[in-house]
Amino acid sequence: MSQSGSALVVRHAFLAALALALIPLTASWPGLQWLFHAILVVALVPEFRSPLIAMLWAAAAGWAVEGVLRFYAHTGGTPLADMTLCLLVRWTLIHWPPQERHAFWGRMLVFAVLHFLLVHATVRLAAGPHAWGYGLFWTLPTIPLWGDLAFRIHRPFRS
Amino acid sequence: MTGMGHRPWGWSPEGRRRWAMLVVWFAHLFWVILGRGTGGHWQTALGLFSRPGQVAARHWDLWRTARSQKTGNLKQAQAELEALRWQVQGLRGVAMSNAARVAEADSAVRLLGLKQQLPLEMKAARIIVNVRKAPFGGMVLDAGLDEGLVQDQGLICPEGVVGRLWQVSNHQASVLPLDAYNASTAVMLGRSRATGVLQGVGPGKAEIRYIGVQEVVQPGEPVLTSGLDRVFPRGLLVGYVSAIKPRDTELGIQVALAAPLDRVDLVLILPPRPEIELKPPAEPPAPSKGKRGAK
Repeated sequence: MSQSGSALVVRHAFLAALALALIPLTASWPGLQWLFHAILVVALVPEFRSPLIAMLWAAAAGWAVEGVLRFYAHTGGTPLADMTLCLLVRWTLIHWPPQERHAFWGRMLVFAVLHFLLVHATVRLAAGPHAWGYGLFWTLPTIPLWGDLAFRIHRPFRS
Repeated sequence: MTGMGHRPWGWSPEGRRRWAMLVVWFAHLFWVILGRGTGGHWQTALGLFSRPGQVAARHWDLWRTARSQKTGNLKQAQAELEALRWQVQGLRGVAMSNAARVAEADSAVRLLGLKQQLPLEMKAARIIVNVRKAPFGGMVLDAGLDEGLVQDQGLICPEGVVGRLWQVSNHQASVLPLDAYNASTAVMLGRSRATGVLQGVGPGKAEIRYIGVQEVVQPGEPVLTSGLDRVFPRGLLVGYVSAIKPRDTELGIQVALAAPLDRVDLVLILPPRPEIELKPPAEPPAPSKGKRGAK
């Protein structure tokens, strides 16, 4: 691994850790919290080289969200959805490496919506009916920001 | 592409990683699915697994309890007894410190009951000095001209008549109790309704004057105010006849006063020159028929 490559890895891990730390810190603003959660799961975590590490990061993101919320009757839905979506994003990154910025933004948009729906589905499966938040309205308009960030840290996977 | 060295699901680094991912993902899935429902299947499963531990812990606890009771029963009982003694002493101290306030509260409650029974505008006052038995002693109230008091207003307490206001200053007033030598009160006997004048003869005692020898008086007979002095209305309890001594033209009737003049601390002050006969309290309104629950 080249020196610039290792610096990129360190920067990537730092960004992921920062997003994970911001999840509990933004507990008072659920919209912001969902934004950082989505960035971590959809944009940052799938870029990790090891799929196991990526999955564990996604699980950590989900458990952080549910640990902060503390009002689900039964937890576990969010990490399950995060892990599933992380693997799905990662699979698409391997098989269809992003070439063009705006197409990548569109892909992030689709995965952000899918992430939102999948989390609600698994939480419903785990804990039953619950309220829908407004997190998606924070996530979608900011895709040019964090989608661009994800595009910058993307390095083609060795297939 | 598969070769001898490439075993995606075997015991290779990649295979182990894949198995680990599967385990993590399915563990979450099982956690989510099994966690649903009232009580949760996980709790049932965990309860089942923890059963041997619970049984062992219970036996261990029982054994420890039995062992400690065998060795330390006497010491523990003695310590507990000592603690209880301290607790009882503390409670006694608290009760003693509260006794004065409790007695005053009881007195106030009884006074309030008396005030509600009598259809008069009365004021309550506290006796702040009671040196009635001392030479030239008396009782002093904590109210005076500032409360609108005037001379010769009657004082009563729940047990009976106390006396009347003797001198009224700005903030205090002195009381002439019933048993003072210079106190005179218009009274009547409870049964014969014969009227006389009560004069004090000593602490807690008084004597009725001007009742003829032809009157039939019995010891224990109640003595009430007659209302003729316009200090007290008719019918307030003054005391009970304790002894009768026939004299030349009148009976010497000794009366044990009902009011505990040594202990009384709260009194009601009657209005000046009340009516002789008190009007009975108004009857409560009769419930109207056929309108129950109507608003």
